[in-house]
Amino acid sequence: MTQITEYRVTDFDCPTCASNVERSLSRTDGVERVEVHYTTGRVEIEYDEDTVDPDAFERTISNQGYTPQPR
Amino acid sequence: MNLKRYVRKHRKPVVVAASGLLFAIGWGLGYFHDLDQISAALMILASIVGGYDVAKKAYYTLRSGTVGINSLVTLAAIGAIVIGEYWEAAAVVFLFSLGNYLEARTMGKTRSALEELLEMTPDTAIVRRNGEDVEVSAREVEPGETVVVKPGAKVPVDGEVTEGESAIDQAPVTGESAPVHKSAGDEVYAGTINQEGALEVVATGTGADTTLERIIRRVEEAQEAKAPTETIIERFARYYTPAIVVLAAGTYAYTGDAIVALTLLVIGCPGALVIGPPVSIVSAIGNAARSGVLMKGGEHLETAGKIDLVAFDKTGTLTKGETAVASVEGFGVESDEVLRYAAIAEKKSEHHLADAILEAARGEGGGTSAAHLTDGGTVVERPQIPDPDAFEVVAGKGVVAQYVDRRIVVGNRALLAERGIEVPTRVADHVREREEAGQTAVHVVLDGNVVGVVSLRDELRSAAADVVRALKDAGVRTVMLTGDNERTARAVAETIGIDDYRAALLPEEKQDAIESFQEEGHVVAMVGDGINDAPSLATADVGIAMGAAGTDTAIETADMALMADDLERIPYAVSLSKATRWNVTENVAIAVATVVLLLAGVFAGYVHMASGMLVHIGSVLLVILNGMRLLRY
Repeated sequence: MTQITEYRVTDFDCPTCASNVERSLSRTDGVERVEVHYTTGRVEIEYDEDTVDPDAFERTISNQGYTPQPR
Repeated sequence: MNLKRYVRKHRKPVVVAASGLLFAIGWGLGYFHDLDQISAALMILASIVGGYDVAKKAYYTLRSGTVGINSLVTLAAIGAIVIGEYWEAAAVVFLFSLGNYLEARTMGKTRSALEELLEMTPDTAIVRRNGEDVEVSAREVEPGETVVVKPGAKVPVDGEVTEGESAIDQAPVTGESAPVHKSAGDEVYAGTINQEGALEVVATGTGADTTLERIIRRVEEAQEAKAPTETIIERFARYYTPAIVVLAAGTYAYTGDAIVALTLLVIGCPGALVIGPPVSIVSAIGNAARSGVLMKGGEHLETAGKIDLVAFDKTGTLTKGETAVASVEGFGVESDEVLRYAAIAEKKSEHHLADAILEAARGEGGGTSAAHLTDGGTVVERPQIPDPDAFEVVAGKGVVAQYVDRRIVVGNRALLAERGIEVPTRVADHVREREEAGQTAVHVVLDGNVVGVVSLRDELRSAAADVVRALKDAGVRTVMLTGDNERTARAVAETIGIDDYRAALLPEEKQDAIESFQEEGHVVAMVGDGINDAPSLATADVGIAMGAAGTDTAIETADMALMADDLERIPYAVSLSKATRWNVTENVAIAVATVVLLLAGVFAGYVHMASGMLVHIGSVLLVILNGMRLLRY
């Protein structure tokens, strides 16, 4: 079933960094839609809960050097 | 708190400080020839400590197929270490991470305008349940429940006052500076502050369904919607960064000078260029939101910066929209009879003039009476207006109705001319006199004969003249669009000093008027009340809706919404937009000038890696601070 989860990331270095995070998240299996906004730091992910565990999103974001806070 | 937890919580500043400290010690030791190797080791360590996160980000960026700022810095630092320029490597990495840290801090401050709004919502509410006042989480209040709001407390829900009187500070929602008096029947918004007496409020909107929450969501969406300049620059940056890598490689191949090539990588970071426009726009949207102006995104803000003509709807925008009957004149028929027929004909109409006529008719007697209870329990006689048997609206002209065996026409000159109804000279004279006083006069016709004239007035907003003057001073042309006749329109236009007016317009003609201004080359803003002006608001380059706090429609349809019915916000919104446009241009200019100067400096041999990075960081902070000026505009 499709779920939506949101994080706030306030330590993006630049708009390009935010779009890189968006790209990595969108390549995760089971992710159907991702929006990452540099200005507000909002990360919205629509995913299939049977395919992917939301913990993977936090890992992807923190692996890139940013701190995700669940909303 | 133990050290490990502290470091994890404050990772960024700790890393920057550690890298800086190692760099400083290494630099100091570098002055002693015997300690050269220790100095070099410390410099490499400083580069590793400060550069670990940068390199990690670079790795992920490269893996996703792009070359970003982090990749350039990592490449430059590794290159510097390889050719033995340890000092440069450590300096570049330290300055870059310091810059990033400061950038994140200042961006956080820029975003805080929105967070201030978020903090406006109270956490708890006192709800009356089973006769007892209980404190619950504000989100748990159900619509229909009675909430008690004590003096000094924040209103926790959207609702209607049922008991008590007070002054409410509505600034968080509408931006109004003066408190608004509220008593039974008045609407209050979540997040506003009760200043005087206790109030009992029946909740109509709670939790995420309050006006303040909707505003916050809109502001957030607005900040996320990219302005055209941002999109262009981001697209440009995608090609620019790899181009810098190619330029650096080419320079190395041609000159064999590794330092110059690496310096190019460092100064090539498009930081200020990419970050400048969004900072300006986020600051402006945040500032506007706190002042009760909702901007629906960077795109509209950029367009609004080019506005050179503002078209105002008259009724409800330049006027208070509280139309009232000023006089009723009968010609061969008693005036209360005239009013009664007019009211029967208008009973099913939704026009604001109809409401005024019905209100006057109910208050002045005539017609079949019905008893109503007032609040005090006294029985008063109030006339009831019977329904017409048949009813037809002629848009922009009036109404035609059938009641028992009488045919009633209530409307303007155009409607009478269309129906071949003759207007006697004395009626025409009376109408002219009323119109010259700025009133709207409607004819009442019974079975083909004009039997009276109902004159209606709508008071001008006190701020109207000042607003028109302020816009003129800012070089903006002002035009009034109205369905009223020429004479009334002229009287209003002269009173408030508007540049031009278009009278007797049907709704679609207002839209045509906007299109004609656009064809003349104007960038047009239309100010209306958001519902009946929807086509004109949509056609204008920027649609500005007034009094949006009360209606969702206005927030949905307009590009910009004034939360309160406060005309004075319009010159502010227009000048803020113009200032934002300038600010974005300044930021782009600062960024481009920095890169050009640095490039020239590198090829002339004046700029090296560390100094290039310092100037680069300086330019990034400069554009952020410049953008943040808009927070205090």
